[in-house]
Amino acid sequence: MLASATATRDVPRISFWRTFWTNALIAPRTTLGFMRIDFVLGTVFIIPLMQMVFFVFVVEIGGGGASEIAFTALGNAVATVTYSSIFSVCQTTDSEKQQGTMEHLLVSPSNRLALYFGRGLLPILISLATVTVGIFYAVALFGVHIAPADYASLGVSVVLTAFAMVGFGLLLGGVALYLRTSIILGNIFLFIGLLLSGVNFPASQLPAPLEWIGYGFPLTWGLDAVRASVAGDPTGVVGLYWLAVALSAAASYGLAIGLWKVFEHRALATGSIARF
Amino acid sequence: MAHVTPTVSRSRATSASLRLSVLMFLADPQWLIPSMIAPVMFGLVAFELFRGAGHYYLTYAILGAGMMSMWGQTLYGSGWAIGQDREFGTLEPTIGAPTPYLYIVFGRVLWNVISGLIGGAIVYVVVLVAAGTPPPVANPLGFVVLFVFVMLTLASVGVVFTAAWVYTRYAGFIQNVGEFAFYVGTGCMFPIVILPFWTNPIGLFFPPTWALDALRYLSIPGYVGFSWGFWWDVLGAVATTLAYLAVAGTIFHRVERHVLASGDLSWY
Repeated sequence: MLASATATRDVPRISFWRTFWTNALIAPRTTLGFMRIDFVLGTVFIIPLMQMVFFVFVVEIGGGGASEIAFTALGNAVATVTYSSIFSVCQTTDSEKQQGTMEHLLVSPSNRLALYFGRGLLPILISLATVTVGIFYAVALFGVHIAPADYASLGVSVVLTAFAMVGFGLLLGGVALYLRTSIILGNIFLFIGLLLSGVNFPASQLPAPLEWIGYGFPLTWGLDAVRASVAGDPTGVVGLYWLAVALSAAASYGLAIGLWKVFEHRALATGSIARF
Repeated sequence: MAHVTPTVSRSRATSASLRLSVLMFLADPQWLIPSMIAPVMFGLVAFELFRGAGHYYLTYAILGAGMMSMWGQTLYGSGWAIGQDREFGTLEPTIGAPTPYLYIVFGRVLWNVISGLIGGAIVYVVVLVAAGTPPPVANPLGFVVLFVFVMLTLASVGVVFTAAWVYTRYAGFIQNVGEFAFYVGTGCMFPIVILPFWTNPIGLFFPPTWALDALRYLSIPGYVGFSWGFWWDVLGAVATTLAYLAVAGTIFHRVERHVLASGDLSWY
């Protein structure tokens, strides 16, 4: 009987983890296909170094001393997380549209959290690698000192920041669903972090409204957590930053899924949202 | 009846190419990123980092960010000047047209320079608003003349990139990964003499490095750049720009011959 064949109970249930792993494995060959190995290696090894060198020399010529240089180097080491987490994740929406798979995705019964989180796995790993290499450069070349006792705390801060930033990338990807292209949106947030998130100078130097806007981004909280870890702050203090990063990550993932649901409904109603 | 080749106005072809570039820019505004959005952010960051370092550092910030705007447009826009023909499948017919391909590309590069200049003007206005005071310039007339010359040096680099990137799959890689390297290597925001010495010869391969150093000598009193000073900077910039144009002409000639011989340059 046709009615029973299409009833909700007859739709095969796909496990969360199966959806997660399938997307994690397939995304690098499809929506993240633009991330070729040379591009990934450049993102991990070259971009952090060049970005740090650029801003460190700007600080130096502006009369900054060793502490300012270390501040900027560490900030940019962490900020490079945005290349993979925001830009790449955000661009998956464009890839879906260009490859003509957006419609199928929107009517898929798969768990959305597993689907999007699975797609974010590779960017999370690349983000972790980028920040790790960036911090290595900061220590080896720019005088950032990290005590061995702080490694574990720093590791937690970096992992949380990477997760939070990928969540933010998914959120922007959700917004980009409604746009012709996500590239501009991704780039705006890529560069705005350099100004508002305390990457090159403390966010407290900004006018109050800009500082508040800056604390709306996970990167700002992530950077605070990383700086607190490197400074050797007690776990009670760093833990508060971790909580803030985790909350911003949860908010980003929640908003991303909510946004995708809204646009899915619009897509089903209009049948045209996947076009651009 | 003898075969008559239609007379084609090269300037008309260039202006048509320029017009098409403007329309494509408006239709696909992603080019706002390298030419306007990124430089404004960099300009504001530099302004904040230079705050309190002296009055002339405002000139540094604006000049550096404006330069990055033009560099960004050269790097991304010019790289795409031939890439777009490849992607749209119009490379062979365009090269087969009576107008030399160089004049088509020149129209595109010209738009890159103009849009980079617009980006530089936006940077100027934004940093000016943030600073609340105009940057001091020691020699305004000379500054304008030399600034136009800096644009020409960038255009020469753009033409070489346009031609050379026909032969590589890595144009996108060079653009994205090498962006900061170009900014650092050519001294957009600071003189390259403060970099390790071994990096200086690499920077001197690029005409804008020389021209920008000369521009800073002219506009910032007490500036310490290359030890050879202003006029050798100008001479070096002219020489490297001419060398770039010669190289570009050679590569374009080769590209045209390649297409006429193989009939296909879209595969690479």
